[in-house]
Amino acid sequence: MTDPTLIRNFSIIAHIDHGKSTLADRVLQLTHTVADRDMQEQLLDSMDIERERGITIKAQAVRVMYDADDGQEYQLNLIDTPGHVDFTYEVSRSLAACEGVILVVDAAQGVEAQTVANALMAMNAGLEIIPLINKIDLPAADPERVRHEIEEGLAIPADEAVLASGKTGEGVRDALEAVVRLVPHPVGDPHAPLKALIFDSYFDAYRGVVALIRVIDGSVSKGVKIRMMASATVTDVEEVGVRRPANLPVESLGVGEVGYLITGLKDPALVKVGDTVTLARHGATEQLPGYREAKPMVFTGLFPIDGDQYPDLRDALERLQLNDPALLWEPESSHALGFGFRVGFLGLLHMEVVKERLEREFGLELLATAPSVEYHAFRTKGDMVVVHSPQDMPDPGHLDRTEEPYLKVTVLVPPDYVGAVMELSDQRRGTFKDMQYLSATTVELHYEMPLSELIMDFFDQLKSRTKGYASLDYEYIGYRESNLVKLDILLAGKAVDALSFVVHRDKAYARGKVLTEKLREIIPRQMFEVPIQAAIGAKIISRETVRAMRKDVIAKCYGGDISRKRKLLEKQKAGKKRMKNVGSVEIPQEAFMAILKVDE
Amino acid sequence: MSEAGTTLPRHVYVHVPVCRSKCSYCDFFSLTPDRLPVTSEALVDALVNQARAWAERGVPPAGIDTLYVGGGTPTMLGDGLATLISALAIWAGAESDAEITIEANPESVTPEMLELLAMAGVTRVSLGIQSLDDDELAMLGRAHGASRAIDAARWVTEAGLDLSVDVMCGLPGQSAADWRQTLDRVIATDAGHISVYPLSLEAGTPLAAAVAIGDAPEPDTDVVADMLLEGAAVLKKSGLLRYETANYARPGQESRHNTAYWTGAPYLGVGPGAHGMLTAATARSAGFIVADGVDRVRYAIACSVETGLGIMPEVTVELLDRGESAREDAMLGLRLTRGIDDGLASRAGVTEVLEGLAADGLVVHADGRWATTERGWLLGNEVFSRVWAGE
Ligand SMILES: Nc1nc2c(ncn2[C@@H]2O[C@H](COP(=O)(O)OP(=O)(O)O)[C@@H](O)[C@H]2O)c(=O)[nH]1
Ligand code: SF4
Ligand SMILES: [Mg+2]
Repeated sequence: MTDPTLIRNFSIIAHIDHGKSTLADRVLQLTHTVADRDMQEQLLDSMDIERERGITIKAQAVRVMYDADDGQEYQLNLIDTPGHVDFTYEVSRSLAACEGVILVVDAAQGVEAQTVANALMAMNAGLEIIPLINKIDLPAADPERVRHEIEEGLAIPADEAVLASGKTGEGVRDALEAVVRLVPHPVGDPHAPLKALIFDSYFDAYRGVVALIRVIDGSVSKGVKIRMMASATVTDVEEVGVRRPANLPVESLGVGEVGYLITGLKDPALVKVGDTVTLARHGATEQLPGYREAKPMVFTGLFPIDGDQYPDLRDALERLQLNDPALLWEPESSHALGFGFRVGFLGLLHMEVVKERLEREFGLELLATAPSVEYHAFRTKGDMVVVHSPQDMPDPGHLDRTEEPYLKVTVLVPPDYVGAVMELSDQRRGTFKDMQYLSATTVELHYEMPLSELIMDFFDQLKSRTKGYASLDYEYIGYRESNLVKLDILLAGKAVDALSFVVHRDKAYARGKVLTEKLREIIPRQMFEVPIQAAIGAKIISRETVRAMRKDVIAKCYGGDISRKRKLLEKQKAGKKRMKNVGSVEIPQEAFMAILKVDE
Repeated sequence: MSEAGTTLPRHVYVHVPVCRSKCSYCDFFSLTPDRLPVTSEALVDALVNQARAWAERGVPPAGIDTLYVGGGTPTMLGDGLATLISALAIWAGAESDAEITIEANPESVTPEMLELLAMAGVTRVSLGIQSLDDDELAMLGRAHGASRAIDAARWVTEAGLDLSVDVMCGLPGQSAADWRQTLDRVIATDAGHISVYPLSLEAGTPLAAAVAIGDAPEPDTDVVADMLLEGAAVLKKSGLLRYETANYARPGQESRHNTAYWTGAPYLGVGPGAHGMLTAATARSAGFIVADGVDRVRYAIACSVETGLGIMPEVTVELLDRGESAREDAMLGLRLTRGIDDGLASRAGVTEVLEGLAADGLVVHADGRWATTERGWLLGNEVFSRVWAGE
């Protein structure tokens, strides 16, 4: 156990792409935690998808030993937090394990939406904030302007901001000096009963669930019996250790220390982010504050294109859930798509990442229905139905009123684009709250907006209408009354359940029209005419037709053509097989995602 | 090597891979004379030698019912074409009533050549007219104009040979009236057999590229469907009845050679780019490695004069088991107006598939036979692919 005065726990926070991962890599190199020859880019992002997309999904903790200018050797625990709004809760728990943060701001881009969001979160958590202006090697770097933005926009003193470049390594030592000097050392009671915060967990195929913890009071060592307070689980400690970044077992972890804890538990659902670890006997009586159950916000149906892959999909989801307890799912069946699962995610990025991993790591071919949110439908007889899937929506006749989840949305944008943002949020049923100038070049706008509008392509639209300048952040603020209807799509007279969706009544007509037009383009001509209709209950609100295909024939087929033409027919047939056959209509996969990309 | 009783097929196809110039839509294997690495005399010799070599490989000829010399443009061989045909007819022992067809293009036939060919035993000429509109012919990159085509057709009948004409519809920019005019003028040649092909844009051809980049308008499939319907109706009025997806004939003038392809009869292919189909027994006798359970062997000779013209040409083979052969026969048989009988349908295991197709109005069942309907002719791929897949 280390003297807490020689420990510093900190995190690096930044808007995406401002250089957080690169800077973390430099810290590992400078402290010789990783030999230069083992250095690989973005060491802490261990999943392929994290590296490719440049986002951090899982939190990480690594201990480095740093010889400071004052002649002392310090134990620095660097906690890498997820870098996306989908994971706001996870970020808040990671921050709760720290006493300070390095706030990285790109010297050319300046302050962006998640810079603000992350800085606010750090302030609320009472953490010391060390501003670091990064990428000063860039020709477009303007540290003075950025210093200004940090001071004006975030009210964080920045005259002593660290100037650094993760690329060249310049200023990285200055950053660590600032951490030692400015970040308070942890304070706790070594004699009090154990209290440790779980800020993430992952699943190890040989060891079971591994929890990443920060000890607040007391200490934890191998062999003791512990209790996880929120999940009310009692178990033995098989091993404690620190990550450098590989696991290194230690005797015990004491006040202020960060490390891992292995219990042999095999069910990740029992090891919850934000939970408090204490001793099974004579343990603490009060949990650490801030614990929350993971709550999925976005739901989609995932169906194997090849129905035989249904059991494989179940296995794969179970495997992913081991490292991702926030992933929730239940079986769902659709007339159109067969058997699959309704899966709940923290957000859209989480959904994309999971779908991509299922396809890439498990070799599945999946069809995803348009994402939706959790609506609340109150029936005339007084009860409430939780609507995860359009199929759950009560009949119009039995429906009294509806509610949908709302967000507080923050957009940062140069003043020239304020009009464009206003227009877009109007279309998306946003309510303008306020606006303030962070600096001469940056305006901060606040809206309240339904989550369902945000998941419809909002970010892409925002980016394209502001030439990429706008940045976005949002937080959940609860349910609001709304006027929702279920819109059905009928192909050849039959409702296709997987194409139904819930929409605000004011937008139903326009959406139905655009969608039927779009489906007319996507659905190939078939042997019969295919009418496409959009309907609310029994009322048809728009109609299009895919005309019947009249000619499709290989006219020439002689001795030399037979093998070749047969193969051509096989290819044509295989193409059709990849479509979903609903009734007698063949529907290409894009049709099921078309709902998402509709901009009326 | 020879298994008892295996002889060569009684249908022979010879591929002559030469054309005066390349048409803009063509993806057949043929070379212009400047790219042909051998003289036409040497080409004729090599083709004859390749055919003869089969006998040395253990499968002797046992007479010929039909011989088809195609291409390319066989008439590019000049008098050598007559030599080729006589040599093959004598070697294989052509029956007195054998059907011997040559493919010909208007620019390379002359009355004298046709007379010589008639003496060599040719009975039938398939003339590649394609269109009788000079602008369309130019767009297609054809080496002839409309008036030469009409002359050539007349020379064929004057030489006492049966005339078959190939004609295309669904050309970029072609109107219904343009099509009707070409059709009427083709009928006026008095051909006893007419083949009608909607243009198929094959990847890699200049015409497909022109359409892809917008230099030529893409033919509308609805318009093409109407052209095909009108073609069938007009031809019928003139006594030319459809007997296959794309082929119309006066009764008795149907191509026996092509009918062999659609009824599962084996055929020998000779020359670079030619294809053949042999029974498993014949293929084994000829030295192919053929596993047990194989029913028929399809082979394709390399599309290269260097490797496809020798006496043991490079081939790729495809092996079909009994079920596949039956499904293939059923698929090809449904290209014929007369269709297939219940026996073949059940051997191929496609009776249920056919019932489904009948429900969609693509085939009908009558008097123990399954046959394609009017609607089925236009949507043939649905019929063919479902029957071939057996589901
Ligand atoms: N020029 C320059 N590029 C940098 C610097 N730091 C990071 N980058 C680049 O910026 C991009 C985003 O960096 P990354 O560390 O993944 O950012 P993160 O999203 O905050 O983790 C990558 O292409 C890096 O190579 C820097 O100091 N200078
Ligand atoms: S004549 Fe026939 S084979 Fe020769 S290039 Fe033209 S289409 Fe092709
Ligand atoms: Mg990163």
